[in-house]
Amino acid sequence: MATSGNKNINAKLVLLGDVGAGKSSLVLRFVKGQFVEFQESTIGAAFFSQTLAVNDATVKFEIWDTAGQERYHSLAPMYYRGAAAAIIVYDMTNLASFERAKKWVQELQAQGNPNMVMALAGNKADLLDARKVTAEEAQTYAQEHGLFFMETSAKTAANVNDIFYEIAKRLPRAQPAPNPSGMVLMDRPAERTAAASCCS
Amino acid sequence: MHETELHDLSDDADYAASQRQGSVSMQRSDSAKTSSSAEPEGAELVYVKDNVTIHPSQFAAERIGGRLMLIKQGACLLLTWIPYKGQHSKLSEKDRNLYTIRGVSFSDVRSIRRHTPTLGWQYIIVVMSTGLAYPPLYFYSGGVKEFLATIKQHVFIVRSADDANIFLVNDFQNPLQRTLSSLELPRAVVANGLSASTSISDPHPAENQPIDDGSVSGEVASLSLYNGRPRPKVHDPARDLSIQVLEKFSLVTRFARETTSQLLRESLNNGYGANERRDHSPHYHDYSYKPSTDPEKAPVEVPVVPDPLEFDKLSMVWGKPRQSPLGSGEWATFLDSEGRVIDSKALKKRIFYGGVEHRLRREVWALLLGYHAFDSTYAEREYLRSMKKLEYETIKHQWQSISAEQAKRFTKFRERKGLIDKDVVSEVWRDFSSIVAALLVKFDVFLTFYPSSILKVRTDRSLSFYEGDDNPNVNLLRDILLTYSFYNFDLGYCQGMSDLLSPILYVMEDESESFWCFVALMERLGPNFNRDQNGMHSQLFALSKLVELLDLPLHNYFKQNDCLNYFFCFRWLLIQFKREFEYEKVMSLWEVFWTHHLSEHLHLYVCVSILKRYRKKIMGEQMDFDTLLKFINELSGLIDLNTILRDAEALCICAGENGAACIPPGTPPSLPIESSLLYPQQDDVL
Repeated sequence: MATSGNKNINAKLVLLGDVGAGKSSLVLRFVKGQFVEFQESTIGAAFFSQTLAVNDATVKFEIWDTAGQERYHSLAPMYYRGAAAAIIVYDMTNLASFERAKKWVQELQAQGNPNMVMALAGNKADLLDARKVTAEEAQTYAQEHGLFFMETSAKTAANVNDIFYEIAKRLPRAQPAPNPSGMVLMDRPAERTAAASCCS
Repeated sequence: MHETELHDLSDDADYAASQRQGSVSMQRSDSAKTSSSAEPEGAELVYVKDNVTIHPSQFAAERIGGRLMLIKQGACLLLTWIPYKGQHSKLSEKDRNLYTIRGVSFSDVRSIRRHTPTLGWQYIIVVMSTGLAYPPLYFYSGGVKEFLATIKQHVFIVRSADDANIFLVNDFQNPLQRTLSSLELPRAVVANGLSASTSISDPHPAENQPIDDGSVSGEVASLSLYNGRPRPKVHDPARDLSIQVLEKFSLVTRFARETTSQLLRESLNNGYGANERRDHSPHYHDYSYKPSTDPEKAPVEVPVVPDPLEFDKLSMVWGKPRQSPLGSGEWATFLDSEGRVIDSKALKKRIFYGGVEHRLRREVWALLLGYHAFDSTYAEREYLRSMKKLEYETIKHQWQSISAEQAKRFTKFRERKGLIDKDVVSEVWRDFSSIVAALLVKFDVFLTFYPSSILKVRTDRSLSFYEGDDNPNVNLLRDILLTYSFYNFDLGYCQGMSDLLSPILYVMEDESESFWCFVALMERLGPNFNRDQNGMHSQLFALSKLVELLDLPLHNYFKQNDCLNYFFCFRWLLIQFKREFEYEKVMSLWEVFWTHHLSEHLHLYVCVSILKRYRKKIMGEQMDFDTLLKFINELSGLIDLNTILRDAEALCICAGENGAACIPPGTPPSLPIESSLLYPQQDDVL
């Protein structure tokens, strides 16, 4: 997987965003180079991995692609817990999805790993005529909230690799402790998420 | 009889002790007021948790809510659980009070076992040093961690080295030596006044005759309860009851597991003589590597603990070969002259083993789903159809009459419609693309070269069913789902519903009929889509219990790898394997599920059987949760349905009542138990 001599980094990345914003399409484009016009809705979650070489290191992304519907919101903490990075995706032709993205940002900043690298992706950039969210607006929002922002198109592949590459560059090089691989749900001290995940 | 229960328990040392201590702390009637004035001198309430519930049986109506408390009295920490008074329950007050835990001192507690499934209620089991295990206490409002933390402040507890979820109390001597796992529980139960010596490893249980017929499942289960040890004193119904209760409570005890697998081994040995490994030891640890018989020839890196159920042999013994689908000629023999199904049980059994020919599905599915009654006549069904058609049109008109102006001010409607539109289009596209893939398969294009995601659907007719831009069936799907979201506004639309509707519409070929069949299906599967995910919680929970029962090594593997939430099976359960098989196979599978022959929850046994099929790969390659989820997702299109169904049948029979006891009441597709408010209104319902 990794070339010798380089630093190898495993990074858990989670995709969050509204229904139909294009989370799965972004991942499929990045991981498999494919695009499907009518990507099926994600049930539960899907997991992918892809490795990127950046200047000084090899970054293996472990990507969690989540279901977007609000109904499945309660499951999200399982996925973003311990994530080193997140891409919050909205559909730039859909204002509501941008609002939803902001809510995700809020939630991650309140609940997620404080050192998380966060990217805001305005997807469907190929549909310029239908644009509802301006790049300026999103850029401003991203800056104010410490995210970096790109407009992407899973369809044309525009900026897709770039956004992952940018995340890879920004990941802290000295990983304090290796992320617990997968989900260590049960036995963590300072439990916040157990309560959030279930059991009403 | 209930009188004697309490009395009877009181001669048990633990209960006696607890009664004594109870008298100095508080009585159950004080449950509502816990002010310190009500407490004796020197007692301090250090922890209170409401909604801690006991599940005496699998019936939700019999659950007992109560309040859990920790009371500090001098150097002594006492545990108390008191049922609420006057709750709506099938059980009488007396029955409920049977379960009261009064002032149990932690000096008598050996361990606390914690279960914190990610999905499902957290619960604990308190095990006394005598071995007595109290029933699991379900923390409906969370708080297990806080509970343990509180104990820790007052009592010496250590986490077991073997199992991070077991907390040993007062284990000063050798914290590493003993782990109090469920392994001790059965003896704990037996120890309660019964002879513990004649137990599990008795090599000559009375019921070692071979079992060769699926019809004996009830027998298997009842045998396994008392297999190899004397029944409790006959004259003592109270003790008998309490023991049964405890057995149920400790859920899947080691005892149950051992008995089941031993029974099975016995039957294999005696009936078939095929089993070379005659191991009657209750805790055999055979770590020898067994060559894989899986079709998967993946490199196995780690020796894998063998399947305790000798799974391959098991399926050969019990899983019946699939029959050909039910055809018209035979179907006619199930009906009387007016169209009533004469013997619905026989019909269901027939369908269970062979499915239905496609052209009969329209008629049969409506019966299986409960839209039509089995004892209805042709004429009655026709009448119902016409009435229901009108009703459907009325509901449909409710959203059709929403004007554009009105919709502007009706966000929820717009959002639902938008979501349904998106999903329907992709649903149709997926089904269509998989039809194409299926055709390629038909022409012998090698299956495995295609990404599994496009491997679904089949049949030439379905190719045209959802094809093309202006296909009316696409609009039908949308209309039905939107109408359903008005019919059941509280539940609304949720991703996954289109998966469930698509095959129904394909079979029924009629809008209103499809709608009502979908409604009938959602009566059972609706809780899957609840906002609080309770339907999914209970299924995932039941699944974990079933795996524990039917494949302990695999269960342990999942436990070690933090996979006990079984979330990797989420998609399987949510949409009944819709995305795991080709279209035609999904239809065959569903009609088997809908017969409810053997179990309403056959789908859970299907899960177990798939996991068992791939257990060597999963454990051998040491898959962690991520890898496992990826692996399971990618199994789509690669699972052999008939094999899995046979395995599932065998497992279901083998598990018998012990299996059924793993499944919480009301678990979908069982009909919900409380019918008053099925889908509590949520602000965010989409």
